Amino acid sequence: MGLNYYQIKRKVLKARKLVIQGTSTAGSGHPGGSFSMAEILGCLFYKHLRYDPKNPSWEDRDKLILSKGHASPGLFSNMATAGYFDPDDVLTLRKFGSKLQGHPDLKCPGVEFCGGSLGIGLSYSIGNALAARIDGKDQRIYTIVGDGESDEGQVWEAAMTAAKYKIDNMTVFLDRNFIQQDSYTEKIMPLDEELLGNDLSEMWKDASRWKTGDKWRSFGWNVIEIDGHRVEQISDAIRRANQTKGLPSIIIARTIKGKGVEHMEDNPQWHGKAPKPEMVPIIEDELESQFMIAPSIIAGDMSNLDKEVKRCADGRADYIHLDVMDGQFVPNKTFDHTKIKELRPLTLIPFDTHLMINDPVKHVRDYIDAGSDIITVHAEVCDESSFGEISDMLHSNQVGIGLAINPDTELPEWCYKFVESLDQIIIMSVIPGKSGQKFIESTHEKTKRIAKDLREHKFEGYIEADGGVNLENIGACFEDGARAFVGGSAIIGQNDVRMIIKEFRNQVLESRRKLLIKKAHELGGTELVNSWIDLHVVGEKKDKLVQIAKEFGFQ
Amino acid sequence: MSAEQFGDMRTEYSKALVAVGEENPNVVVLGADTTDSLKTANFGKKFPERFFNVGIAEANLVSVAAGLAYSGKTAFASTYAIFLPGRCVDQIRNAIAYPSPGDKKGLNVKLVVSHGGLSVGADGGSHQQVEDIAIMRAIPNMRVLVPSDSTTVSKLTWIISQQYGPFYMRMARSKTPIVHNESQEFQIGKGIVLQDGSDCTVAACGITVKIALDAADLLKQEGISCRVIDCFSVKPIDKELLEKAARETGSIVTCEEHNVMGGFGSSVAEVVSESYPVPIRRIGVQDKFGESARDNEIPQLFEKHGITSINIANSVKEVRGKKP
Repeated sequence: MGLNYYQIKRKVLKARKLVIQGTSTAGSGHPGGSFSMAEILGCLFYKHLRYDPKNPSWEDRDKLILSKGHASPGLFSNMATAGYFDPDDVLTLRKFGSKLQGHPDLKCPGVEFCGGSLGIGLSYSIGNALAARIDGKDQRIYTIVGDGESDEGQVWEAAMTAAKYKIDNMTVFLDRNFIQQDSYTEKIMPLDEELLGNDLSEMWKDASRWKTGDKWRSFGWNVIEIDGHRVEQISDAIRRANQTKGLPSIIIARTIKGKGVEHMEDNPQWHGKAPKPEMVPIIEDELESQFMIAPSIIAGDMSNLDKEVKRCADGRADYIHLDVMDGQFVPNKTFDHTKIKELRPLTLIPFDTHLMINDPVKHVRDYIDAGSDIITVHAEVCDESSFGEISDMLHSNQVGIGLAINPDTELPEWCYKFVESLDQIIIMSVIPGKSGQKFIESTHEKTKRIAKDLREHKFEGYIEADGGVNLENIGACFEDGARAFVGGSAIIGQNDVRMIIKEFRNQVLESRRKLLIKKAHELGGTELVNSWIDLHVVGEKKDKLVQIAKEFGFQ
Repeated sequence: MSAEQFGDMRTEYSKALVAVGEENPNVVVLGADTTDSLKTANFGKKFPERFFNVGIAEANLVSVAAGLAYSGKTAFASTYAIFLPGRCVDQIRNAIAYPSPGDKKGLNVKLVVSHGGLSVGADGGSHQQVEDIAIMRAIPNMRVLVPSDSTTVSKLTWIISQQYGPFYMRMARSKTPIVHNESQEFQIGKGIVLQDGSDCTVAACGITVKIALDAADLLKQEGISCRVIDCFSVKPIDKELLEKAARETGSIVTCEEHNVMGGFGSSVAEVVSESYPVPIRRIGVQDKFGESARDNEIPQLFEKHGITSINIANSVKEVRGKKP
């Protein structure tokens, strides 16, 4: 169906929430491995996989084979989100009489493989791929294999078979989350290297220790290695794999088990355990509070924007904010679409193009063609008709749609007609035109008010705080309801972009933890606060939460 | 039959496969480095694009076949008995028998093996699969066929290519005596009465059917009239025919080159004890492993396990005496 970056992220969020609801209601199941592959499934279901949920056995459909079958809650939740069945059906997961069995099963129309006994799915996928070849069908087989599953010798039998038969109508993902049932993979049966000690981040950080790709390459496969939570990387990897002819392709996606919920992340306990029902509302709030950091490169060296883009990429920015100024809508001039087109090949990171220009409707086409992932235009220079035109154009090109307002502007009445399909609303906290200004304090109140209003109008996109955001105020911006943060001089003006982005994230995380502790207290008092805190066993998260609870007087 | 004729099951299987493949372009054949031995390589020569040799990787063999079947192919996967049920019960169960698309039961894979039972001979006990019937018949949706001769193999290959669903067909390694005429008709779930009789029934499967016939000849000389049934369809088994035999002949002896525990004899005992209980004696491997024996020594190996016409005859006399 081909959704844009933001729409995919929203679907992934919906699916994650269903996983929590489904496993929690069932009282068992595997959320950890469902979350590590959440973005992979998101990119497949909402961009690359060809299927018809109303006709699951459509002959020419692509096939998705979940070899790591225990992650079925992830599969079922996406099938529900994609329209195969009612999302409420996920609440029947693992129950007597349900089509949603404990593991993927053909009992549920649209499921292509009975998974669960590990090691079988890749061979089975090869069989399907060979059948498509015999029949001369333009059909693709997508398969997700687990890293723990790779202990099974049959995976490697299949690896040889796919190379022998040059299976190139199949794209395999290895969900490399480094955790299997008993413990870390690198302790139980290392795929890279034996892990000494208990700090999994050691394996994550040190690329020189990753040998899994070499294993597959030596078996004759095209290997693509990515961060498996980055939609843009997954999508690009799928495209590259699908274009590769004459040999099989595997995408090794480094992922985090339990990704999205702090206490589940990198925690082997959450391989096969369901969250307790009382924790569900808190977890849902946590999932709703995903956030993104977007450095604005005009705060850097304007004479060398290539370098600034690369610094953002190295710094692991979520996306890159591109302020286009025309010298008319704002007094300054920065660059136009030709510059964006030049920058585009430098990185896969989404481009968040913020058009501070007059008559945006006349220019939007150029910015789509330049490779923007989202284009935000200003409410001050649009009306219902021109914004409608812009919105249609962006929508049909799978580009995100954003609307921005200046500090002295309110959301126009006409924008509510579009609010459900808007991906982003930028609330400017400085007067646009140049970087380095101070955050206008009244923006906090304004954002809170708008966030509440937008929630009531079913807005599902991100509110982006733009202007003067820094380490001191980013936490407050999060509390206001902003979930995307543009950092100008506070990020790009610093020497170590990676470090500063990490600090930005930590500040937001701190605010998010506060929000969740408050939620726990509101729902179940000190007792629930303590149970919530006790879930956080990996790393130093627990100490930080205890500190917060004490500050609030909850302990 | 007067002068004894022999046939080679693998040769007939191979010929039938090629013929089936000519008629049905959906048929695919998979092997695991035993395609010369099973003679499935002949199919590969004729239809290279529908033939896959996955090497010595039986789990993979079974699962690739399952994938082909899920995508609409009729998949024949073949190797030695010891390497299929003996090695891949998980894949057979979870990738072939369990997955049931729509109203169908299981996937359309035919597991056809040779080297079933003790008659493997020289390769020794490690290669003599005496548990496969028990393993395979315990799996829901799986049907189990043990043909008695090469004629049966040929006919059953055609039949299972046309009937949807998982089948396990067990062939013997060596050349085997022919017991059926070319005109014999076969039906899944139906036994064949090879010789009528009223004093006792000998029900057998596979190459022991010929031993059963020999036993009946011996008994005839002593004036005992034996009914001999070829139960090539071990699952589904012909309940009706067995119940009738129990009622009309009053006792049953079973015979198989397989462990008596859980095998063909067990399935006969299950059926008869529930429908028309009569004394039963099961001839077969008595919960032991086999051992090497060259071709000319195989009769000795069978004798050691009590699988002989004389032992069948003695058992018939014994169970007849126990009739109520």
